[in-house]
Order: sequence, then structure tokens, then C-alpha cells
Amino acid sequence: MAARSKKLVAAAVLVVACVVASAAAQQRRIVSLVPALTEMLFAIGAGPQVVGVGSFDKFPPEVETLPKVGALLDPDTERILSLRPTLVLTYGSQTDLHKQFERAGIKAYIYRHGGLDTIFQTLRDLGDATGQRRQADDLVRDMQKRLDDVRTRVRGRPRPRVLLVIGRQPKTLREIYASGGVGFLHEILEIAGGRNVFADAARESVQPSHETLIARAPDVIVELQAEGMFKSDDLAAEKAVWSTLTSMPAVRNKQVHELVGQYLVVPGPRLAQAADTLARTLHPEAFR
Amino acid sequence: MTLSADRLSYSYSRVRLKPDTTTEFTLRDVSVRIAPGSLTGLLGPNGCGKTTLLKLLAGVLKPELGSVRLGDREIRTLSPRALAQQIAVVPQETHPAFDFTVMEMVLMGRHPHLGAFQLEGPADIAIAREAMTATGITHLAGRAYMTLSGGEKQRVVIASALAQQPKVLLLDEPTASLDLGYQLEIASLLKQLNRERGVTMVLATHDLNLAASVCDTLVLVREGRVLMQGAAREVLTSSTVEQLYGVIADVSFHERAGHLTVVPVRRQ
Amino acid sequence: MSEAVALAHEARIRPIRIRLAITLAGFGALTVATCLLAPLVGSTHISLARAFDRSIPFADNVDAQIFWVARLPRVLSGALVGAALATAGVVFQALLRNPLATPFTLGVSAGASLGAMLVIILGISFSAGPFSAVPLASFAGAAVATGIVYWLATPYRRAMSTTVLLLAGVTLNSFFSALILFVQYVADFSQAYRAARWLMGDLDVGSFEPIVAAVPAIVLAFAVFALLPAALNVLSLGPDAAATRGVDVVRSQRLAFFSASLATSAAVSLAGPIGFVGIVVPHLVRLMVGVDHRIVLPASALFGAAFLVACDLAARTLLAPVEIPVGVVTALIGGPFFLWLLVRRS
Repeated sequence: MAARSKKLVAAAVLVVACVVASAAAQQRRIVSLVPALTEMLFAIGAGPQVVGVGSFDKFPPEVETLPKVGALLDPDTERILSLRPTLVLTYGSQTDLHKQFERAGIKAYIYRHGGLDTIFQTLRDLGDATGQRRQADDLVRDMQKRLDDVRTRVRGRPRPRVLLVIGRQPKTLREIYASGGVGFLHEILEIAGGRNVFADAARESVQPSHETLIARAPDVIVELQAEGMFKSDDLAAEKAVWSTLTSMPAVRNKQVHELVGQYLVVPGPRLAQAADTLARTLHPEAFR
Repeated sequence: MTLSADRLSYSYSRVRLKPDTTTEFTLRDVSVRIAPGSLTGLLGPNGCGKTTLLKLLAGVLKPELGSVRLGDREIRTLSPRALAQQIAVVPQETHPAFDFTVMEMVLMGRHPHLGAFQLEGPADIAIAREAMTATGITHLAGRAYMTLSGGEKQRVVIASALAQQPKVLLLDEPTASLDLGYQLEIASLLKQLNRERGVTMVLATHDLNLAASVCDTLVLVREGRVLMQGAAREVLTSSTVEQLYGVIADVSFHERAGHLTVVPVRRQ
Repeated sequence: MSEAVALAHEARIRPIRIRLAITLAGFGALTVATCLLAPLVGSTHISLARAFDRSIPFADNVDAQIFWVARLPRVLSGALVGAALATAGVVFQALLRNPLATPFTLGVSAGASLGAMLVIILGISFSAGPFSAVPLASFAGAAVATGIVYWLATPYRRAMSTTVLLLAGVTLNSFFSALILFVQYVADFSQAYRAARWLMGDLDVGSFEPIVAAVPAIVLAFAVFALLPAALNVLSLGPDAAATRGVDVVRSQRLAFFSASLATSAAVSLAGPIGFVGIVVPHLVRLMVGVDHRIVLPASALFGAAFLVACDLAARTLLAPVEIPVGVVTALIGGPFFLWLLVRRS
């Protein structure tokens, strides 16, 4: 009889724990101002906890139906507060916001910009904050595995010098921004079997002059952009813009590539896919 | 050449004037004749329209009604350049926006005589130097205009106007901001230039004694109309002074000064 | 110090023909020397022998590519923009009768910036020959600003009042600047950053095409400038004084206003708004040669070209391989220069 009552007690405790846990889960209301963090939340299964997203958040498709509360420059504090969040994911520079939330008793998570290690750690942190730690760990493991797959694929192959362009004025070669030697783009480029021509620049982005570009003589040029910047039929024209720099090996060997996709520029859960795409661009023979 | 104004009317407002309307006219139906070689004064209280009349005679303002003639030609048919070769103006104050030297200021008087891309030559420089000699400022040639005294500045501007080699010289309150000493200086300079060079001069002034000492002809202007014009001795009387200024004054010939003087006694 | 100033004034008694010849020769030599030296220097070491070696095919010759594709267009646009902004500054200062006026005082640059900004943020892009979206939009914006200011400041039949002109320009400046801020605010982060970067000025055109697009406007502006110097001298005495010395005031003001706006618009469309050139250069030139516009205008064109090329040289070599925006270099020179002027006066 004692064993049975022990089981009853255990079962009761379990039920109560579940109720409490689900209640706590239901009480978690998260607003995210950062697109990368929004993606992460949904990827670790915390999607149901998200009640508001930033104006520039586009992925996953579920965010279309969620209320938009502004972004880096224009966070709508009233709107955010009206959603009664328990946690708000913000940028580091939004110190006024942090103070306001502190006064309102709302927890603020501060986004840290960084390389792959930082991204993985952020996923784990978000896992802790949302009770989805296990899923977060799984996701990190999965991403690391996929990155290893990419590394394996391209191992041993000659690594071309790559100019990774992250922005410029359309249709002309002005105001070119390229990835420097720091940050997630640089790291996935290296994983994908490329050597960043600006690996020596200790910054995330550089704005090289034409002289510098010609002097660095990249073997491959990869231009990354999120959707909606160029129309697809303009890609050929954008590629052709580089043809004036005829001494560049990339131009001579017709190794100028235009890659379009939001997953390519967001330091979030889809970066393994980005690494994969980059690798396929740099080493197509490895994927046959 | 005779400079004459024929039934001039002018208004500073933008309204198109008709002869019968009662808009704010600064000048109403004004006719004057400036005899060649004369030293004429446009005399009247502040706001009577004498400066406006001067500007109309100079061609700076365009009359709504009436015309200004130089000789037979209406001045509106002349280009600014052609007009400036005949008529020069000395404004009340000249404040150049940049730090010109006296020589540069005087040489600007040669502008109407130079072609589009022409620079001053030796002849122009000689004319400028002569104008500076006549006004007694040769020693100031290399000085910065802005560093001069009021009297010196006025002489520079007069020299600049003389360098234009005009037939008619118009002056707007030439002594208004000057001390007594400089007033006398400029007054005698004007008389001398008029006598020696035969330049017709027209002075707009409210200073009765300046007009009395310098002008041989007077045009009395009141509220935009000509009260009277003629020889100074005939026109400048206690009665006309009272009509112009509302002031009882004593007008008499001063032996020692050699010209008429006006001594105000009291307000009407 | 005032003795030196007095001596400088005395020196200006010499006939203008001689002074003009000496000035043009002197400044001309300076400008030619600067423009010849500048492409030889840069953040990358190149071998001039290789750059000019015709036997190596151009497509293989990195040194030649750096010289002809990267550096030469940059030096040329620096010279063009420097000359345009400096002379526009001189003309605006004469028109507004104020030595503190700049080519940007009347809102031309704000209009140009707004045009460029809208195109950057709306993501509009096209290119037709040497013309591309941002420079064209920037030129159009400048034209709109010019038109509005002219319309506001020109009374019927009479000459422009410099006060009204200044007020109209300053008002338009504020209004357009507010619009620019708003446009940046609603843009997404990368667009806003690109827009902000454009506002810092950039001479690195990378090819001769943008220069070819800007040259006709600048040449036209210069052709009109050539008609103006004597009139500008006289205009600076005031509109009435100018009229009585034979200047067609209305016509001269119009020519001055439109040609200076045209030069400014072309310069800003080519390289973004680069500040301080239009005020530092005229002041320095006046300190050296006096205030006669017949000398100041051509001297400013030459010195402006040399000045901006030199500033750009500093911008691209001082912290190499990092480049300082050229507008920052001109500001770093301009600020202390004006402090010095103020201290000197008092």
C-alpha cells in the first residue's frame, strides 16, 4: 500500500510540475528587435513564446503575422510595453530602452555581435531564457556538424583568394563594402574553403578604394545581398560592372558571383546553409 | 546735355499705377530740368522723395509713369553701360563687401568704359590718378578703403565717380554722416570740381546750409511733389523754408561766408 | 601683422595685367605639379616603369591598372571638384556680399543630398552610358533646390535682395536637411549607412565615366564665370552702386546664381558634398592676391584643384590602408583655419 501511495504522490508531483512548467512557459512573452535573434528563437522551438518582432524581421514566415515594434533606430516603446513582454531582445546601443525596461521590471537581453562562437553562445543563452536549452544545444550540434561537413568537402582543395562584397552602390563600382578579417562572414568564408583577401583587416567590414582592390587581386569575387535589393534580371548587369578591372584574376577568369538570399547575411541559425552555398560557389567540383 | 525729368511718378509698392488712383506715391507728377554745368540741389525733409527722384534720374529706379531724358534720349533706351558713361552716382554710404584698396575702388569707375574681357590699361590708370589728385587722395592709393575716415571715404567714392568721366554727377546726401570739417571740405571740393571741370552736379540733401552754400539752382521737394525750382537766391526764402519744413527760419546772405545761410528759429 | 597687411595692400597698386599674369603662372605651376605628382603616390607601392611599359598587355599590368584606373580618375575628379567648389564659393560670396558664404549656404547641396539619398534608400538603380542613378538624382535634387531659392528670392522686375536670397537659401537648407534625416530614419540599417557614407564625400570614382558625365555642366559653369569677374567687383559695392557703374544687376545676379549653382550641383553629384573647399580656398587666395575678382576667380579655380587633390592624397595615404573620407580631411583643415582667422582678427 505504501508503494502505491508513493506512486500516487510522485504522479501528483509530476502533474503539478507540468502544470507549473507550462504555466511558466505560457507566461513567457518575448519581443525581439533583432532579426538574427528572432530567427534563433523560432529555430530552437521558442516560436510560440514570441509576441512581437522587429520591423526588419523577415524569417521565418510566421513573423509576418506578428506585431512589428520598430528596430535599432525607432523602437516603439509603447507598442512593446502594450504586448506585456517578460523578455525583450535588444541591441547593445539601446541603453535608454534598457533603463526603461529595468524600471518596468522587464528583462532585457542584449545582443552581442560576434563570430561563430558568439552565435553559438547566444543560442545557448536564448535556450536558457526560453526553457528550450535542450533544443538549442541540439541546434548548435547540428550546425556544427553541417559546418564540419562543409569543411570535409573542401578539404585539400586549393583555397582561392576571395573578395566577399557585402554592399555597394548599384550598377557602379562605388562605395564597395567588403568583409574584413573578423566576424561570422569571414569565418564561414574560411570554412567554405576560401581565403579572405582582407583577412588582415581587424574589422568586420572594410571600404576599400579601387587602388586597394586592384592591388589585392582576388581570384574570386562573391557579392552577397538579401532579397529585395536587386531585381533578378539585373544580376547580370551587376556582375558586368566589375569588368573594368581587367587585371583582377576574378574578372579574367569569370569568377564573379552574385548570391541572393537573406540567410546569407544574417548571423543566425541558417549560417550553416550559407557556408554550404559559399562552398558550392567556390568549389563546385566538390559537390558533384 | 540737359538732364530732365518729365512728369515722373513712382511708387515703392507693387501696384500698377493709374494716373487717378490714390495709392501710396513716393513721387507724383514731378518734372525737373537740370541745366548743363549747374550745381542743383534737390532739397526737402526726410521722406519727401528726393532720394527717389535722384535714383530715378540715375536710372537705378524705373518710373511707373513719365520719363527721364538725357538730351533728347530717354535714359531707359540706354544700356546700363552707356548710361554709366554719362551719369555717375555718389551714394550716401558705400560699404564694399570685400577689402578693396583705394586704387581699386577708384578704378572701378572705369568699368563702364571697359569691354567685356578688357583690363585697365595705362590710360585708365592715368584717368584714375587724375581723379585722385582732384580729390586730394593720391597719398591714400595703396590704403585699404575700410581703414579710412568718413571724409576720406567720401572723397574716394567721389574720385571713383569722377573716373567714370561723367557728364552728370549725382550725389545722395554727400555730407550726411560727416563732421563739420569734412562737410566744408566736401562742399568746397564739389564747387571746385563743378567750376573747373564743368561737370553738372545734382545733390539730394536735407541740409539747408549745404544747399545754400553749394548750389546755384534748387528744386524744393515736398511730399513727392515739386514745390518750386529755380535759382537758389530766389527760391530759398523764409517762406519756402516754412512750407518745406514747418519751421520758422531766418534766410539771409552771409557776407563772410559768401552765400545764403539759414538759421532756424522755432517750429511753426 | 597689420604692417604686413598694409604692405600687401600697397602691392596691389601694380597694374592688374602684371598681377594677373604672375598669379596665373604661379598658381598654374602649383596645380600642374600637384596633379602630376598625386597619381604617383598612393597606399600601394607601384613601379612607374611597369605602369608605363607598353609591352605588357594592359589587362595583365597591375601597376598600370592602379595608375590609370584607380589613381588618375581620382586625381582628375579631385581637380575638377576642387576647382568647381572653390570658384562657386567665390561667386556666391560676391553675390551674397558676404565672405562667409559657401557653395552650400543656399541649399544646393542639401537638395543634391536629398536626391541622392532618396535613390539610395529606394534602391533605384540604372545606368545609361556615363550617367547613373545616384549622380543624376543628386543633380536633379540640386536643380530643384536652385529653382525654389531663385523663385523665392527674385521680386518682379527688381534685383535680388541679398537678404532675401540668404533667408530663402538657409530656410531651404534646413528643410531639406530635415527631410534627409527623416529619410535616413525610415531606411533600413545598411541603406542608412550607405547614405551617411555618401554624405562624407568620395572622390574614388574608379573610371572616367562619372567625370565625363559631370564635365559638360562644369565647363558651362566656368564659361559663364569667365564673364563675371569685373561685374562681381562692382556688385560687391551693393546693387545700386553697381547699377550706376554700368552693371546690368539683374542679369549679372542671375548669371552668377545659376552658374555657381550649376558648378556646385555637378561637383556634389560627382563626389558628394565635400565641405570647406568653397570657403577655405577663396579666403586663402584673397590673403595671397587681394580681393579683385578678376584675379581671385581664376586663382581659386587653380588653387581649389590643387587643394582638394592634396587633401585627397592625405586622405588616402596618412592612415593607409585605412582611408579617411576626404570631407573629413577638408573639415580638419577648415576648422582650425577659421579659428586662426578669428584669432588673427582680434
